[in-house]
Amino acid sequence: MNEHCTPLQADAEILENHEYRPWLFRMRLAAPAIASKIRPGQFVMIRSAWGNDPLLGRPLAVYDVDWDAAGQAVSLEVIYQIFGRGTKRLSQMTPGESVRIWGPLGHSFDEIPDARRIWFVAGGIGYTPFLALAKWWMGSSPYGGKTVRMDSTASINMIYGARSSDMIPPLADFRDSGIDLQLCTDDGSAGFSGRVTDLMTENWSSLPEEARPDLVVTCGPEPMLAAVSAWAGERQVRCLVSLENQMACGFGACFSCVAPIRQADGSTDLKRVCLEGPIFDAADVAWGHR
Amino acid sequence: MTARPNDTNAIVDLSVRLGRLSLRNPILVASGTFGYAREMVPFVPLADLGGIVPKTVTARPRAGNPTPRIVETSAGMLNAIGLDNDGLDHFLEHHLPWLRTVGTSIFVNIAGEDIDQFVAMATQVGRAEGVAAVELNISCPNVSHGLDLGVDPASIRTLVKRVREVCPHPIVAKLTPNVTDIVVPARAAFDAGADAVSLVNTFKGMAVNWRKRRPILANDIGGLSGPAIKPLALRMVWEVHRALPELPIIGIGGISNVDDVLEFLVAGASAVQVGTATFADPSVSGRLVDELADALKAEGVADVKSVIGTLRSNRG
Repeated sequence: MNEHCTPLQADAEILENHEYRPWLFRMRLAAPAIASKIRPGQFVMIRSAWGNDPLLGRPLAVYDVDWDAAGQAVSLEVIYQIFGRGTKRLSQMTPGESVRIWGPLGHSFDEIPDARRIWFVAGGIGYTPFLALAKWWMGSSPYGGKTVRMDSTASINMIYGARSSDMIPPLADFRDSGIDLQLCTDDGSAGFSGRVTDLMTENWSSLPEEARPDLVVTCGPEPMLAAVSAWAGERQVRCLVSLENQMACGFGACFSCVAPIRQADGSTDLKRVCLEGPIFDAADVAWGHR
Repeated sequence: MTARPNDTNAIVDLSVRLGRLSLRNPILVASGTFGYAREMVPFVPLADLGGIVPKTVTARPRAGNPTPRIVETSAGMLNAIGLDNDGLDHFLEHHLPWLRTVGTSIFVNIAGEDIDQFVAMATQVGRAEGVAAVELNISCPNVSHGLDLGVDPASIRTLVKRVREVCPHPIVAKLTPNVTDIVVPARAAFDAGADAVSLVNTFKGMAVNWRKRRPILANDIGGLSGPAIKPLALRMVWEVHRALPELPIIGIGGISNVDDVLEFLVAGASAVQVGTATFADPSVSGRLVDELADALKAEGVADVKSVIGTLRSNRG
C-alpha cells in the first residue's frame, strides 16, 4: 500500500497471447519502461491500439515481469479472463500486433510485509496478483528494480478457490515458485470441498496458536472478499484486500471505480480504487454500503 | 502573423477568441474527464493545452451515485457519476491554487441546485483570481436539477444574466443536447450575454441486462459520450452556428483525433473540448495541439481562426 509511481503510456507489441483455456489467456507485452517500474499489486490498463470499439481499456494486474541476462526488464505479463467485448478483442490479437497500455497504476503492496505467517486467499481471476507478490516478498524477483526479502522464517501459504475443477486455472507457476498451494472447490470436484473460508477455518483449527496467520491477503469476487474479511475480523487477523471495480480510465480522472472506505472519523467516503487502492485494509472497507 | 503555404518553417497561429476570452489554442479538455488535472500530469504537458475544465464543483460536497457508475457501449460509454466532488470551498482552497500554476487557462465548471445557488457560487468564483472563465453546467443528466434548468430557455436567460451581474469572468454555458431544438437554449444563453456555449454535454441513455431485467447502471440511466455521439454533436454545432453566427461555440462530443477537431472547427466551433477520448488514450489532448498545427500547416493555413465556420452547405 506504499508505492505510487508515475504512470507511462505506450504502444506495446504483443510477444505472446497464449490460450490457457477458451476463456483464459496470458499475454506478454514488450513494454520495458512500464515493466521496469511496476510492482506487485499495481495494474495496467490495456486496449487494442486502433479503432473506437471497444473503446475503453481493461484493468489487469501485473502477473509477472521478465528480465534479460543483464537484469533489464524487457516484458510484462498479464492474465485475463474473457468477460466482455474488450477482453474478447484482446484474445483475438496475435503476436506482432500492438496494444495501447498505460501504467503502472494504483499502489503496490508494502515492500516488506509486517507479518511472519502470511496466507494468500484467491478466487476466480483474483489469483493473478499473487505470483509476483510471493516472488517479491520471497526475494526471488526485483520488481520495480527493488529486491526485498521478508524474514527468512516467514512463510506464505496460498488457498485458491473455484466453483468446480474445470474453473481452476493453470497454477504451476505458483508451485514452481515454491508457494504452498491448497485448492478448494464449491462442489468438491478438486481439492477441499467447500468455500475458501471453510478451508481457512479447518487450517486454523489444526494449527497451534503460534503457527496461525498474522496476515491474510485476498483478491477475487466481492462476496468472497467480504467473507474473507469477516473471517479475518472475527479472529483479529490483519487482512488486506485488492479490490477491482468498473473503470474507465484507471488513473483517477473519471471517478467510476469508487468503493466505500471508512475514514478515521468513522464516516464512509467513496474512494477511487484505481488511485487510492486497489489494496485496502479489509477493516476499512464498508462491505455492502451503497 | 503571416505565413506562405509550403513554408515549412511557418508558425501556425493557433490562438482563438471567444467573446471576452482569449485562448492560446483551441484544444481544451472537458469537465469530468480530466479529474482536477493533477491526475493527468504524467500523461499531458498541461501548459500546452488551450485550457482545462476541471470536474464540476457543487456548492457543497456530494458523494455521487452508487456503482456501477459507468458502462461501455458501442464506440462510447454511459456514465452516471452524479457529480461526486468535495464542494466549492474545497475546490477554491485545494485545487484552484495549484491549477493557477500549470500555465494554461483554467475554467471553473460549477453546478448549482437552482438559480440562486448558481449565482452564489458564481459570486464566490468571481472573487477568485486566475480564473479564465466560468462554465455553467446546466446540463448534467445525472442530477435532476441540472437538466431541468438547462431545457428551459427562460431559466437559462435569467441564470446567465444574473451570473453576469455578479461574476466578472467570461461565462460559458454548457448545454444539454437532450432538447428538441438546440438553437433555443443557445439563443437564450446568447441573448443573456454568455461569452460562449459549450456544445454538448452527454445524451441521456441506458444499457440493459435483459437476463436480470435490470438496467446496468445503478442510476438506471446515464449520459452517453464518446465517438458514438460525434455526428450528433457536430450537427448541433453546425445548427447553432448557422442560426447564431456571432455566438462563440466550444464543440464537444466524441473528439478523439485531429480530423474530429477540424470537423468541429469548420462546422462553427471556435474551440473544442476533448472528453471521453482521454480515458481511452490518456495523452491524446496534448498530442492534438501539435497535430492541429501540423494539419493546418499541411493545408497551407497560417491561422486557425481562418478555418472556423467555413463549412458550406451542399444545399446552397
